[in-house]
Order: sequence, then C-alpha cells, then structure tokens
Amino acid sequence: MRCVGRRGDSDGAANLSSDRGSEFGQAIAAQLGAFGLDRIKWECEMTTAVDTMDTTSQYRHDLLVEMNDDEQSRQEFVRSLKLFLAHKVSLGNKKVYEERVRPQLQKQGRSESIPEINRLMKKQEYYQFWSSLQRCSQEMMWNSIQIPVERQLDQLIGKAKKAAENPRGSLALDPDLAIPKWQTRVDIHCMPGGYHTELCEDDVAAGAVYDRAVYIYAMGRMGPYNDDIGASAAKWLKERFPDFKPKRILDEGCTVGHSTLAWAEYYPGVEIHAIDVGAPVLRYAHARAEALGVKVHFHQMNAAELKFADGYFDVVSGSILMHETGTKVAPLVLSEAHRVLASGGVMLQAETPPYKDLKPYDAFMLDWDTRNNNEPFWHASHDIDAVKACVKAGFSEKKVFEVLAPSAFESKMSQRYTHVFQSGDFGGGGQWYVYGAWK
Amino acid sequence: MSDVKQPIKLPKKARGSRPYFFDDPAIDKVLAMLMGLIGEVSVMADRVDTLERLLAEKGTLKLAQIEGYRPNSAVSDARDSRRDMMLANVMRIILQNEEDPDNGEPNDPEYMSVVKEAEQT
Repeated sequence: MRCVGRRGDSDGAANLSSDRGSEFGQAIAAQLGAFGLDRIKWECEMTTAVDTMDTTSQYRHDLLVEMNDDEQSRQEFVRSLKLFLAHKVSLGNKKVYEERVRPQLQKQGRSESIPEINRLMKKQEYYQFWSSLQRCSQEMMWNSIQIPVERQLDQLIGKAKKAAENPRGSLALDPDLAIPKWQTRVDIHCMPGGYHTELCEDDVAAGAVYDRAVYIYAMGRMGPYNDDIGASAAKWLKERFPDFKPKRILDEGCTVGHSTLAWAEYYPGVEIHAIDVGAPVLRYAHARAEALGVKVHFHQMNAAELKFADGYFDVVSGSILMHETGTKVAPLVLSEAHRVLASGGVMLQAETPPYKDLKPYDAFMLDWDTRNNNEPFWHASHDIDAVKACVKAGFSEKKVFEVLAPSAFESKMSQRYTHVFQSGDFGGGGQWYVYGAWK
Repeated sequence: MSDVKQPIKLPKKARGSRPYFFDDPAIDKVLAMLMGLIGEVSVMADRVDTLERLLAEKGTLKLAQIEGYRPNSAVSDARDSRRDMMLANVMRIILQNEEDPDNGEPNDPEYMSVVKEAEQT
C-alpha cells in the first residue's frame, strides 16, 4: 500500500484500497456524527510491504546529515530519553494529579481548568522534575543534531546545490518576505535560530537540523520519511473519497517537505506546490525532494498572504501549521485557503486534538508546550473551534469536518506508541486530528 | 586579513526566556548537567559496544570501521534496552514514587511514629 522503496513521481506506489469509500456528503455527516476521541477507530490496513521496509531508522537520502559513531549514539540517547520520559516518567504526573492536586481543587471548590491545575501542579516536586527533564531533553536534542550539521555545513550546502541541478520541480525564494514577528521573537519548539535564520549564503542548516530532529523528536514514529502527518491526512482523504481527483495540491508551512512528499505519493502525477516563510528550510526541502525524485514547486510565501490566483488548488493542506501562527493570523490562513480553493476542493489542517475533546488533566499535560517548549500559540490554537473558524473563513457549515485520521505508519512500531496525546510524546497517539472543509 | 574561512557557528540558545521549574533555578541547571553527563556516558557505552562487536567480528580494528558501523535492528533493540535500564537506574529516585505513599516528599512524623511504636512495644 505504501511506497516502500525509493520514491519517484512515476512509481505509482499509492495504490490504496477504496472499499471503505463512500459518498462524500454521507461521509461528512457520518464524521460529524461520529466525532469523539474514544469512538473513532478506523481499521488501518497495513500491508506486508511495510513489514519489508526498515522501520527502525530514518531513510538515508542524499541530503541527510552524516553522523559518526558518537554523533549517532548521542542522538539515539536523546531518543531513548524522550521515550523513557513519555512511557515511564510522565505517567507519574497523573498519580500526583489524582492523589494530591484534584482533591485540593475539589476541597477549594476550584474548577479543573488548565490554569487551576497548573497553579497546583507546578508546586509538585515530581512534576518539576518531569518538566525540567522534558525541557532538557528538547535542548539536548537540538544540540545533538547541531553538532554534525555544524561540522558538515559546507558539504551540505554543496550537496543541496548538486541535488538541485536539472530539477524536476522548482524553488522560488522571496528575499523581501517579512518574517512574522512571532517567529523572530521566540524560536519555535526551542530550535535555536528557528526556520528562517540565515547563517551564510545558500544556508541550509535549519533544514538539515530540522529533518533529523523530527525523526528524534517523534522517536521514529512518523516513519522513515517523517511524513506520517501528511500521509495520514492524504490516506484518509484518498480512502474516504476515492472519486475525488485533485489536479493541484498546496502544502502550507512545509518546512523541509516531509508531509509534502506524502501528498505526492498518495496522489501521483498531481501538481504539488509547497510554501514556507523560511528560506534555509525551503532550500533544503527543494534539494531533498529532488534527491528523492519527487517533483514539487516550493515557494517562500506566508500562508496568510498567498500569491496564488483564486480557485487555483483542489487541496490546501497544512500539517501542524496552525499552532505556529497567531490569533489574528490563523483566520487569514483559513480564508486564504478558501480563496485559492476551486469549487469542490478541500482544505485539511492536521494538528493535535483540541482541548474541548480532552479530559482536563490530559489537556493540561498537552498544554505544557505553550510556556515550556516555546510554542506561544499552542494554547490558543487548541481552543480554535473548527466549525466556527471554517465558517468565518467562508466555508459552508455543512461542509466542515473534524476527524481522527489513523496513523498511516502504525504497524510493527506499535510498541513505541503510548496512545496518549501528551507533551513530549509527539506522534505517540497513533492518530492525527484533522479539521477542514470542502468548498 | 586571514583568508582562512571561519567555520559557521550555529546559535545554541533558543530565543525566548527559558522556563525554570524548581524554586531554585540552580536545581534545573544541575539536573541538565547530570542529563548531559548521562548522555555522554551513553555515547561512550555505545562506542565500547561498537568496538567490542568489531573486534569480535574482524579480530583487527581500524578507525574507519568504527565510524562506519551502523547497528542493525537487533543491535538497536539491545541498545534501546540497555539505555532504558540506565535511565531507570539514574531516575530511580523519582520512579520509586509509584510505590511511595509519601510521593517522594519528607514525612518525618510518619517515620517517627514507627520509631515510637518500636520503642513502646
């Protein structure tokens, strides 16, 4: 079912079964009616093909930074540490909450809201230890990947240039594009320098760091291509709507194109465009796509101010984009998506689940990233009402959907999943929350 | 003027004020150093593992062989398990909260009540 060998835009590997597809109107109604985190569990058909691929390491394409033995081990340690914190340490917070914090809240007549839980939890020593270790693991992760990238930056720039010779796709940078201020004041998820900082001419450092970091951060659970978010959304769309045949797809906030390439895989032959605000990640994304033999047109562009004509796309997709925007910008991203969609097209935004669908403690734990992992819009973005936001952007209420798309990559890796949406356990849920709307 | 090209340095500190979790930030910092130390010990342990495996396989040793060594799935699994045990050993003090009715916090009156009981019975 999934492409397992080297990718190519002509390999036609996305050969999904469509037996569970249905009329889209009925399916939307079914989705809306069935939405609920505990209830939606679609069977994931994993094939023997997945069993034959190496699921335990990142796919080594030409651009991926080289690690010597120590560098490899240092990163593996961070992966083990993160997994350990998620599986063995984080769960102890729940005991603290249930035995100490919740009774106090009840005694004080306080609500089980995120601020109230935080007020008492942050005084608990166990939670202080977990938090301190969690933040530390994030900083260690970036450091462990910067070491080989810094060592090889010249070679990586050379490799990126070489990979982009005689390209199938294209790269259009816009040096005049203003980097949004929420990206320049805080380095999102503690990645030093963020997506946009240019360290030298033709810099690709941010892309090289990010590509490897996502693999370590998700503990390998997004697959050898780090593409599970886009793959899960694309797989869901293709299986549920087998008769939907897009001609052009836009992937927003693409960074190094992890999810972008999944769209190209599930919809072979479709014209794929991808945008981001950061030049170093786009240079890397272009070179990586070329190295993997996938045709994508990359543009340096802000999702809130698209330069594309009205009705140009059949699919507009974002993979964990919305939470890196802001209260004023998020509605613009959605209305711009509506504008550039053709009639009959669809927008999909994949995120972690909104707080309204989580129990108070789980929402509190997921919210940790807002203050502690440099994710300033994380909290507010998890309070976005998908239906209201899409309607405000111009979509019809009847055509808005919220679904949990099962992970396209949960196979023999299942022992690595915690099946919880919690901080520091990215990808551990085994499913992705996707909202969007048909135009 | 030197024509030796200075290597590019990546920024090490993420912009944005860093959160500290303990009342005394020094505890966060010492903990970060401890984790850094565990990480480096883990790196060394992996390197020893690489050396041992290569020595066993070849009977001779060349540096390029170490740098080029990539563990297969079985070796990766074995290393994962060892790291897991190592982490459990280091974090023993907080992991044992699971069994501790005092959740790792001091409870002298409880203990002294046992002393008293021992003394009086």
